[in-house]
Amino acid sequence: MTDSRRRTGRFALGVAIISVPLVLALLGPVFVGEPGARTVSFTLGDGHWLGTDFVGRDVWQQVLHGGRPVVLTALGAGVLAYLVALPVGLIAALTHRRWLEELLMRPLDVLIAIPSLLLILLVASVFTPGAVGLALLVALVNVPDAARLVRAAATEAAARPVVEALRLQGETWWRTAVGYVGRTILRTLGADAGTRLTGVLYLVATAAFLGVGVAPDAADWAVMVDRNRTGLFVQPWAVVVPALLIVALTTGTNLLFDAALERPGGRRVRKERRKEQRS
Amino acid sequence: MRVVKRYGDDGGGDRVAGEPLAEIEDLRVEVGGRAIVDGVSLRTLPGRVTALVGASGSGKTTTGLALLGEFPVGARVTGEVRVMTDGPVGYVPQHPAAVLNPARRIAALLTDIARTRVRHLPRGRRRTAAREHVLRALSEAQLPDAEALLRRYPHQLSGGQQQRVVIAQALLLGARVIVADEPTTGQDALTKSLVVDQLAAVAARGIAVVLLSHDLDVVRALADEVHVMRAGRVVEAGPAQRLWLAPRHEWTRQLLAAQASFADPDTDTGADTDTGADTGADTATGAGAGAESETADRGDSAAVRLVQPILRVRALVARHRDGPRGTTVTVRAPELALRAGQCLAVVGRSGSGKTTLARCLAGLHRDHEGEVLLDGTPLPRSLRDRTREQLAAVQYVFQDARAAFDEHRPVLHQVARTAVRLRGVDDRAAEAEALTTLTRLGLPPELAHRHPGLLSGGELQRAALARALLAHPRVLICDEITSGLDTVARRGILDVLADLLGDSGSDHHDSDAAGPALVLITHDLDTAAVAHRIAVMDAGEIVEQGPAQQIRTAPQHPFTVSLMATTARLEAGTGS
Repeated sequence: MTDSRRRTGRFALGVAIISVPLVLALLGPVFVGEPGARTVSFTLGDGHWLGTDFVGRDVWQQVLHGGRPVVLTALGAGVLAYLVALPVGLIAALTHRRWLEELLMRPLDVLIAIPSLLLILLVASVFTPGAVGLALLVALVNVPDAARLVRAAATEAAARPVVEALRLQGETWWRTAVGYVGRTILRTLGADAGTRLTGVLYLVATAAFLGVGVAPDAADWAVMVDRNRTGLFVQPWAVVVPALLIVALTTGTNLLFDAALERPGGRRVRKERRKEQRS
Repeated sequence: MRVVKRYGDDGGGDRVAGEPLAEIEDLRVEVGGRAIVDGVSLRTLPGRVTALVGASGSGKTTTGLALLGEFPVGARVTGEVRVMTDGPVGYVPQHPAAVLNPARRIAALLTDIARTRVRHLPRGRRRTAAREHVLRALSEAQLPDAEALLRRYPHQLSGGQQQRVVIAQALLLGARVIVADEPTTGQDALTKSLVVDQLAAVAARGIAVVLLSHDLDVVRALADEVHVMRAGRVVEAGPAQRLWLAPRHEWTRQLLAAQASFADPDTDTGADTDTGADTGADTATGAGAGAESETADRGDSAAVRLVQPILRVRALVARHRDGPRGTTVTVRAPELALRAGQCLAVVGRSGSGKTTLARCLAGLHRDHEGEVLLDGTPLPRSLRDRTREQLAAVQYVFQDARAAFDEHRPVLHQVARTAVRLRGVDDRAAEAEALTTLTRLGLPPELAHRHPGLLSGGELQRAALARALLAHPRVLICDEITSGLDTVARRGILDVLADLLGDSGSDHHDSDAAGPALVLITHDLDTAAVAHRIAVMDAGEIVEQGPAQQIRTAPQHPFTVSLMATTARLEAGTGS
């Protein structure tokens, strides 16, 4: 009873926290209205709720505008990374062919050795990627360690007798790999996805700071944090608000993952049951 | 919640024998409104072995841990636990490896404890004194060759040695009461008798031993006093002798009866065994010989002997990868044949290669040479390359049923998948068939619809059997499927197996097929009593094989002889 209540509570909290940045990001541009005239940089009051930013634009308007690129790029990059990493990791974990495993994992090891920012800058100096290009790039640098994580977690699950039992039943690869192994490692993946989203946001923000993928004065939460930090002590809102929104986005995602992955009945009950069995 | 722990205030030194070292009075442990232990009282006397006997889930471990002052999380506890010695209470868990730090050598593990005992000495003498303590504890725990042992890491020791190291730790701490939790579960007969000897030696030193076990052989060999537990209550308690000869409670009788029928091959499978023993009458073949010396013997078996073997093993050599370079040969099986409706028991100590051999047959161990022939056609080495028919023909039941089920899906669904995948039955029909098979094996439908986490080990093992049987296998391999189960659950599974063999005449699925040939991997000669033929393995070699009767009554190979002798000794209860 208390377990299920705690679970619902965590779920509600997660939804509450994540809904703020999500609603702002998705609906903000609709309600933003006409941009006002530029005024003095880093001022407070004067008809501007949250003051003005480093080039004298209204911070609130920038906040409404700036969510969509960050959220979409980060989510897109995260999802893309997993779309590649999951099948690669699962195949590598479940095959008994050494060469196939090597073929899948070794190239990723090469990729992992290159610092991610360096890679992004290199590519950016050759092409000029837009938002989509940036998402692809960030996804690319996230694939190697996501794939390694999937493989490591899946190898452990694939070594269990269940997998042998499933093979003896002539079960399909899909059912074994996704239906059992994938489901078993879901909690690990959920935990990883939460932290990875934070990392992806950070990378997108840094890339924006370095001028990759977005214009240096673009309305973008990440860019706002970077650009406005010079005036942090004069006009903190221009940094604090977008930063808080990013924090809310990652915290909310993590809470939601936790609540969704918690098994009905909870960990506590299972532990007790195991104890009973032992006695 | 009222837990009274009253520790004796005198030095715990000389104590009149017969005065209890620890006492439990009217203990009741409740978790989530359900009483796990209810109204249990217990006294442990120095030099005596007090046994708590019962099926798994009967509250033995909870009672044992109560002596240590340990209770399950969130438990409501009433009653009194009194420990009258100044030393701690030692605990030897079922899996001793779990309590030994794998990163440290045995010497470090023991010296850490010994150091606390030599604090009163001047600094210069502590080191040698600690070492003396360690060596003494090791010899008291029956661990010879201490020098070599101290340099090893826990994983380099056998399970029995690890257990003794844990006992040595308890002795070093000055424990006067030791709780041993299922010390023999999953051990072969020889190791079991070692455990019995070592616990007897510990008790002989005036230490009170509390033995928690469902292994009645060991209890009989060791216990002075027995408490029979069921569903958290002690249903009967008394001196071992009295309890064994004249059990008063129905449950005790049931437990003892289940045990007695293991030990006695005649009452066990009755007619099946007798006729079966003849059908597989080969002469015993030595290990290296590998000759097909199937001499025509006992006349009445001629008809059955005409039946071609379903599965034949020829010149099988299995290897294990051993580090990056070489491989180690673990199993050699020059010749082995299985006929329909026949049960072959592969017996041997743990680590003798029984499981590897069985895994080769099932295609779970690909690293082998030689041939496994099904009806004369060689089977692919790995089950990934086997066709559906070949998969269905050779099925395997795992030792740990819980680990062999997906905890996310209902048992029924998982069982039914066999019929869907291997025989092309549609989902609905497969579930119906699974349900009938499960019911036949003694698993009621309401349990079958649950997730594996809500079933007991014995129930899951029945489900695992049903899962394999739905393939209509020609060969069914059972790998230690009864070890780890308590006597009553074990009895149930063995009955199911005996029934399977009995079915061979009145088959109810296919027209011409007899029942499956059964391969029973076991370390336990009692379990092997169901079998028609027995193959004995030692160090990866089949040292002896032949009709069950012959192996049991007239073993040829010295290893078989010693295995039989230890089993007999345990059964006779001469350990104490």
